[in-house]
Amino acid sequence: MAETKSQTPKLDELEKGRWPSFVKEIKTAAQKSPMAADLLGQLELSYNEKIGHWKHGGIVGVMGYGGGVIGRYSDVPDKFPNVSHFHTIRINQPAGWFYTSDALRKLCDIWERHGSGLTNMHGSTGDIIFLGTSTPHLEPIFSELTQAGFDLGGSGSDVRTPSCCVGPARCEWACYDTLALAYDLTMNYQDELHRPAFPYKFKFKMSGCPNDCVASIARADCSIIGTWRDSIQMDKDAVREYADRGMDIRSEVVDNCPAKCMDWDGKELHIDNSYCRRCMHCINIMPKALRPGKDRGAVVLLGSKAPIIEGALLSSVLMPFIKIEAPYRQIKDVIERIWDLWCEEGKNRERIGEFIQRVGLGNFLEAIDVEPVAEMVAHPRENPYVFYEEYFVEDEEEEKK
Amino acid sequence: MPEAMQERLTDIGPPHYEKFLPPVIKQNYGKWKYHEVLKPGVMVHVSETGAKLFTVRAGSPRLVSTDKIRKYAELADKYCDGFLRFTSRHNVEFLLTKQENIDPLIKDLKALGHPVGGLQNSISSIVHTQGWIHCHSAATDASGIVKAVMDELADYFETMVLPGKLRIALACCLNMCGAVHCSDIAILGIHRRPPKIDHDNLHKTCEIPSVSASCPTAAIRPATVGGKPSVEVIEERCMFCANCYTVCPSMKLNDPLNDGVSIWVGGKVSNARHEPMFSKLAIPFLPNNPPRWPEVTDAVKNLVELWAKNARKYERMGEWIERIGWPRFFKMAGIEFRKEHIDDFKHAGLTFKRSTHLNY
Amino acid sequence: MAKTVEEVAEAMYNMIKDATGLKKLKATDLTKGIIEMFGDEVDKQICKDAIKQLVNSGRCVYTYFGGSFIELPHKEGAAND
Repeated sequence: MAETKSQTPKLDELEKGRWPSFVKEIKTAAQKSPMAADLLGQLELSYNEKIGHWKHGGIVGVMGYGGGVIGRYSDVPDKFPNVSHFHTIRINQPAGWFYTSDALRKLCDIWERHGSGLTNMHGSTGDIIFLGTSTPHLEPIFSELTQAGFDLGGSGSDVRTPSCCVGPARCEWACYDTLALAYDLTMNYQDELHRPAFPYKFKFKMSGCPNDCVASIARADCSIIGTWRDSIQMDKDAVREYADRGMDIRSEVVDNCPAKCMDWDGKELHIDNSYCRRCMHCINIMPKALRPGKDRGAVVLLGSKAPIIEGALLSSVLMPFIKIEAPYRQIKDVIERIWDLWCEEGKNRERIGEFIQRVGLGNFLEAIDVEPVAEMVAHPRENPYVFYEEYFVEDEEEEKK
Repeated sequence: MPEAMQERLTDIGPPHYEKFLPPVIKQNYGKWKYHEVLKPGVMVHVSETGAKLFTVRAGSPRLVSTDKIRKYAELADKYCDGFLRFTSRHNVEFLLTKQENIDPLIKDLKALGHPVGGLQNSISSIVHTQGWIHCHSAATDASGIVKAVMDELADYFETMVLPGKLRIALACCLNMCGAVHCSDIAILGIHRRPPKIDHDNLHKTCEIPSVSASCPTAAIRPATVGGKPSVEVIEERCMFCANCYTVCPSMKLNDPLNDGVSIWVGGKVSNARHEPMFSKLAIPFLPNNPPRWPEVTDAVKNLVELWAKNARKYERMGEWIERIGWPRFFKMAGIEFRKEHIDDFKHAGLTFKRSTHLNY
Repeated sequence: MAKTVEEVAEAMYNMIKDATGLKKLKATDLTKGIIEMFGDEVDKQICKDAIKQLVNSGRCVYTYFGGSFIELPHKEGAAND
């Protein structure tokens, strides 16, 4: 097997340069794993031919689950027999991506016994990704992972592994406990995460403040973004310190305020909080002087996604402000009503954002029993084609449907 | 079989995060008062209690071997009592309570080949997908372009000299695993040739009605080809989304002659100042030219440097372009404006210039 | 009279078997089909339990082809030995 090791001049080029090299990582793994060695060979072939050499496998998985394993087969298994199977395993990361060295070593032990030794820390959705194993290893990996306290993440038409920002663990801007909510929803929806029962995927992402470090507004079907209702907390002396140390408060802070709700008289910063849009800019650049208010909670938004199928969407407001407190019934109730409706009426591969576009936000809100509020729209409709639902008929006193 | 099922642990979920939090975090959870960036890649969080937590952030290729993870673990043991975390952009962060450990840790990280930085006004690691390493629908490689681009931009990771944050992301096809569509610069793999249909096998592996239904422009219809039930594609209607290929492996779009990369600019997800925005098309096509994709690295570097030279402090790529206007952006960037730049999907009209706010 | 999980699972299995090669069924298709078939004698939870039983017993498997389906176990075209 060793003598068939491919020559890889193109990939060798990517061992050079300042940024850490993924080729070096594959070569390191290849010292122990024939699978990693053949991956290198097949990738060099792709670099020569400018085309990928993988086939999608839609059936492999662990017994009982419909998610967590992505099947892959080489389309050149004769040349690279060790990557004939090269399945991915998604492992649900701990909230906030915190680890101990011991936990990481346990994961490495399992993966060196059963796979290529290559990983992504982490995948885009947030899972730990184990890259490359064969079908007979799937059950042993799963069993060893669960013994070590880990479980698989989502894939397919299910709840995808929820992910969250670092939150109150290390951030003064966290307006709610993102880790606690991510963990709670993950545990509460284990069945929905492992056994696909939806028209398509459903992603939760929790960001503790409007900086949105996990990009929830761009890629979560349900984006839960921390905010506050009262006034920005200000330490006036600390503001002056920033000014004394050379910050131009007018041009850097006041002029950048999207709401134009602040003023600087050379000594004191004034904020008209009733107009503040909670954008975070002033807080971001003066973290020692300004902080989010004390009456904290979150905005719940729905519907973002990448382009496939009907075009990319950003999430839009569903609940302008809620307090985020265990057991999070308010969020769970509305989400479960949404799932019921979507499972009933949604089309195959239709994300919730596309579903809302198709049926109309107004109808959607009515069906999930949420009152429309002005915070849900950038502006009211511009076109006059209104679907009025009731009208009067002559000689009838009551409105008729 | 039933007995075996009994013994299996299922639905246990991830380990509880509290097990992995260092004592300084447990004691100061939710009590952090402010933070300061001390130097590139190093910040301190200060608690109401006065406790301090130092973070050292290092870049990573995202694709890491177990050997590398073990090295991270060793460093965490040596400097941080075994505690570390990862970020949403694939960086690794070491969590220290002893300030004197910062510089030795940085030295060790650099010896390991991992740059320290990515905070504040810098370019953080590139969020990206699998590419030819693992994906069946990739129109380009991911790791290779990311490596080549970051080799050029590593200075901007290790310093904080840019006007504001710059977020680059790469997706190897339109499925866009990751938030590529809201990045300052997005590198997107694209197909440009309609699917090559495997008429011999399509009826065996795919349901014809599902294949037809998968097309957002209704370009696919049932047909009998060579006596076998199959489909045909109205080529003028194909926009190369590959949704049919996702549903049916006999509709292959991968094509070495026509696959390549497009470049998108001006997106953001943060609410700071301007609301979140989608990225917009800057360069419709660049060729796949492995191993270093020089056309792509040059284009990205040009855009970064143009923005760095001209944007105001804190202005993100999209905010800068919105201020100067797209015509000027195209002129300054030396990019020819073409038919492909004009949207022709749903709601395209909303992207037309509907005012006389123009400069000359 | 309420149906048992076993009865629902059996009915689902037959739906899947009959649809094989014609249409891949999703969990939502099975649930809707069963509710149409048995009306008040079933609810969504029993459908969920029945799917779980079919998959846990190995009689059916989850598959993914641009969406998740429930099918009879078979070797797929892409699989290498």
